[in-house]
Amino acid sequence: MKKRHSLLIFLAVAAIISSIWFYTFLISPPKQTLDQRVHAVASQLKCLVCQGESVADSPATLSQQMRVVIRQQLQSGKSEQEVIQYFVSRYGDRILLSPPWQGLTLLAWLVPIALMLGGTLLLFYVLKNWQSQADRSPLDVERTESIDIDEHEIAYYQKQVEQELAAEDSVFSRLGSEVD
Amino acid sequence: MYFSDIGIISLILALGFAVFTIVVATLGATRALPQLVASAKRSVLTVAFFLILASVALIVSFLTHDFGLSYVAQHSNLAMPWYYSASAFYGGQEGSLLYWALMSSIFSAIFVFTAKRAPTVLVPYVLATLMGIETFLLIVLTTVSNPFVRLPVPLANGVGLNPLLMDPGMLIHPPMLLMGYMSFSLPFAFAVAAMITGKLDSEWLRSIRRWMLAAWSIQTLGLVLGAWWAYHVLGWGGYWGWDPVENAALLPWLTATAFLHSTMVQERRGMLKVWNLSLVFASFALSIFGTFEVRSGIINSVHSFAYSTIGSYFLAFLGIVIVFSIGLFIFRLPKLQPEQEFDSVISREGSFLLNNLLLVGAMFATLWGTLFPLISNAVQHQTLTVGPPFYNQVDGPIFIVLILAMGIGPLLAWRRTSTRALRRNLGIPALVAAICAAVLPLLGIRDIWANIAFAVCSFTAGAILYELWRGVRVRHRHGEPYLFALYMLFERYRQRYGGYLVHLGLVMLAIGIIGSHFFQVQQEAVLKPGQQMTIANYKLVYLGNIDRTYPDVEVVTAQLQVWHDGQLQQYIYPGSQLYASFANQPTSLISISTYGLTDLYVFLANWNGLSDATIRVFVNPLVPLVWLGGIVMLLGGIICWWPQRRKRLVSVIVPHTEKEPASQRVGALAPPSVESIVGHSDSSKAEVAPGGEGTLASPPVGVFSGTSENDEEASI
Repeated sequence: MKKRHSLLIFLAVAAIISSIWFYTFLISPPKQTLDQRVHAVASQLKCLVCQGESVADSPATLSQQMRVVIRQQLQSGKSEQEVIQYFVSRYGDRILLSPPWQGLTLLAWLVPIALMLGGTLLLFYVLKNWQSQADRSPLDVERTESIDIDEHEIAYYQKQVEQELAAEDSVFSRLGSEVD
Repeated sequence: MYFSDIGIISLILALGFAVFTIVVATLGATRALPQLVASAKRSVLTVAFFLILASVALIVSFLTHDFGLSYVAQHSNLAMPWYYSASAFYGGQEGSLLYWALMSSIFSAIFVFTAKRAPTVLVPYVLATLMGIETFLLIVLTTVSNPFVRLPVPLANGVGLNPLLMDPGMLIHPPMLLMGYMSFSLPFAFAVAAMITGKLDSEWLRSIRRWMLAAWSIQTLGLVLGAWWAYHVLGWGGYWGWDPVENAALLPWLTATAFLHSTMVQERRGMLKVWNLSLVFASFALSIFGTFEVRSGIINSVHSFAYSTIGSYFLAFLGIVIVFSIGLFIFRLPKLQPEQEFDSVISREGSFLLNNLLLVGAMFATLWGTLFPLISNAVQHQTLTVGPPFYNQVDGPIFIVLILAMGIGPLLAWRRTSTRALRRNLGIPALVAAICAAVLPLLGIRDIWANIAFAVCSFTAGAILYELWRGVRVRHRHGEPYLFALYMLFERYRQRYGGYLVHLGLVMLAIGIIGSHFFQVQQEAVLKPGQQMTIANYKLVYLGNIDRTYPDVEVVTAQLQVWHDGQLQQYIYPGSQLYASFANQPTSLISISTYGLTDLYVFLANWNGLSDATIRVFVNPLVPLVWLGGIVMLLGGIICWWPQRRKRLVSVIVPHTEKEPASQRVGALAPPSVESIVGHSDSSKAEVAPGGEGTLASPPVGVFSGTSENDEEASI
């Protein structure tokens, strides 16, 4: 009975959240302002005259001019990707702050992703392996029993330990009214 | 005779004693001669003494402006205040190496003083390893990178320090970060000693954990200070740029964090020995790699003022370290068998493994991104940049999953967790996260990634705070006032609750990062006096420029009024200063004013005369949380590390030894929660040894929830 109750609450909460999310992200997706779009493009491009800064962050004159160009191109109706492509065609790949998804530089992206996936698989394999070893061990019967032990027994052990602790250290002693 | 001569003589003597220590310590250990080990200890103290002497000689040379000394002439001048002169000690390559050697020797000396707490058989090998590292540094210091080289003709005035370094941050950030790098050598020495002797027991684990925790805390402080410095000096509105050198400092921190978690599995269950040792070796190797990277200049970085030619020495040293470590593994592998078996994926062991996967994965991804430009250059002769967008997309999701795991992990029991307990523990945090996810879009947070990230953070914060609340509630029921109960939790279960504090700090830091990453607003305008610019709900009114000229520096500041919600808040003075000796390198004076949890970051980008200024303004929401989170993390680290008071044994302890963890014996008979109660009573026993509580840092989850339920029934 109680279980069904909590399930209902869970479903209700999930429904409310998904409806709010559905509304905000699908029905009326956020509209970016021109400033935000300029910033989004500029932060993908490297400032060529400074050390490790993006066009969005750099105070250099060249970057200021590039931001103006980005703004003009976006205003004239180009997409973000087209603007980035425009700069790549003029300056080459070195203007990009992150390696492009093509050719050799694809490796930059694929290797970490592959490592994470491989690591996850390895982890599952190791866990499964360990678990099957543990399952084969003779102690197993007692173990499965142990997790089903009932709450009364836990309470019993707990009380015992608490009493013993209280005898040693007053911090653990209960107030008189609380003793059950 | 100059002071610098004392320095060079000290360095040579220190080198002699360091080599002597290696020989004597190794002989003392292999021949079982305690006198030789005692001699090695004294010799380590002598090395420390001579390095202190050498450092004092260098500092005195700086303070007395001895421009006959090449290093002093290059890194200071007469106009610098005395504290920047003194800190120029580590402002250049030779001096920072000397500082490193000094810290290494001081830590070695601290080890000597606390050596009676460490396992006796390990001591000589730890000493020998530490002095091996010291020998390397001293060889470099006395040959290719000597800070005490004199010029044929003394200069009248020095060149001065790079203006970027003339900042209060200089006084604390570099020494902390260098100390952090260096401090990984102690866990490394412990690991080497354990591999040689084959003594990898719980006593060893406690010692190495403590040193690693110290190294971790120092490195945390170094990283946060670095971020703070970058925020206050560089003027691009951010604090972390995924610069190669920043990455290099982050890498050993990630592996050290992984180690601190996975050793708990080894403490409790005797598993993962090989893995833990590799994490120690990796942390040390990565800290050497970091130094190599900074020094060699092979990768372009904003830190290029430290560029030099000794990179190859560090590369060679790195090679030696790696080969040596792998050799030890091959030699010792048969002895490193796990003692216990694994029970269930949904257990704390499982969550620690996930934690390790994520941290090491983040480390590899960051390392790969840092090295990729080199690879690409070698293969295709093409220069490219791996910049923030790459790391944000690769590391960002990993860290979000990590934070989620951080919320769930500590609530799981060892061995296996029943679904009922899981539901009971996770219910409230999940509800908090759900409310957060539902409310944020209504508050105008329309970015789906920001929403997910915030929801995850609120889940984890909820889980930690709920756990703290349950602990406090149980103790309160036992007759303690709430605040005292909270204090007692931290006092008694230092490692566990210190760990929670670290987690809480990390969540705060993550919220700060998410806030400033997704919701930073910026604007730039060219203003004439009386003109204004509006950003978010702040209004800036420009009044004019102020130009002040001092003998060695020219300072230009713009004067602006800040209006917020229709009220004049304050006057701000963002500016720029130009040192006479570095005419092409102006440094900015950034004005940062904090309103609640939002920073108004104002930067003078350009100016023309006294009545024209280009002002860049950033509104950075939640950035103060980054610093606050850093402080909380550090505090948590210190609480974990702080030695426990020695206490009387409690007689309730079920008779068993440390080597046989409670779980093995009790676990077969009793449910996990009972086991954890035993763990609790045990903690007072573990207090005999410093930092011992972690050995038995068993989850009080079961206890607390169980007790509280009983109490509720009783009160009804």
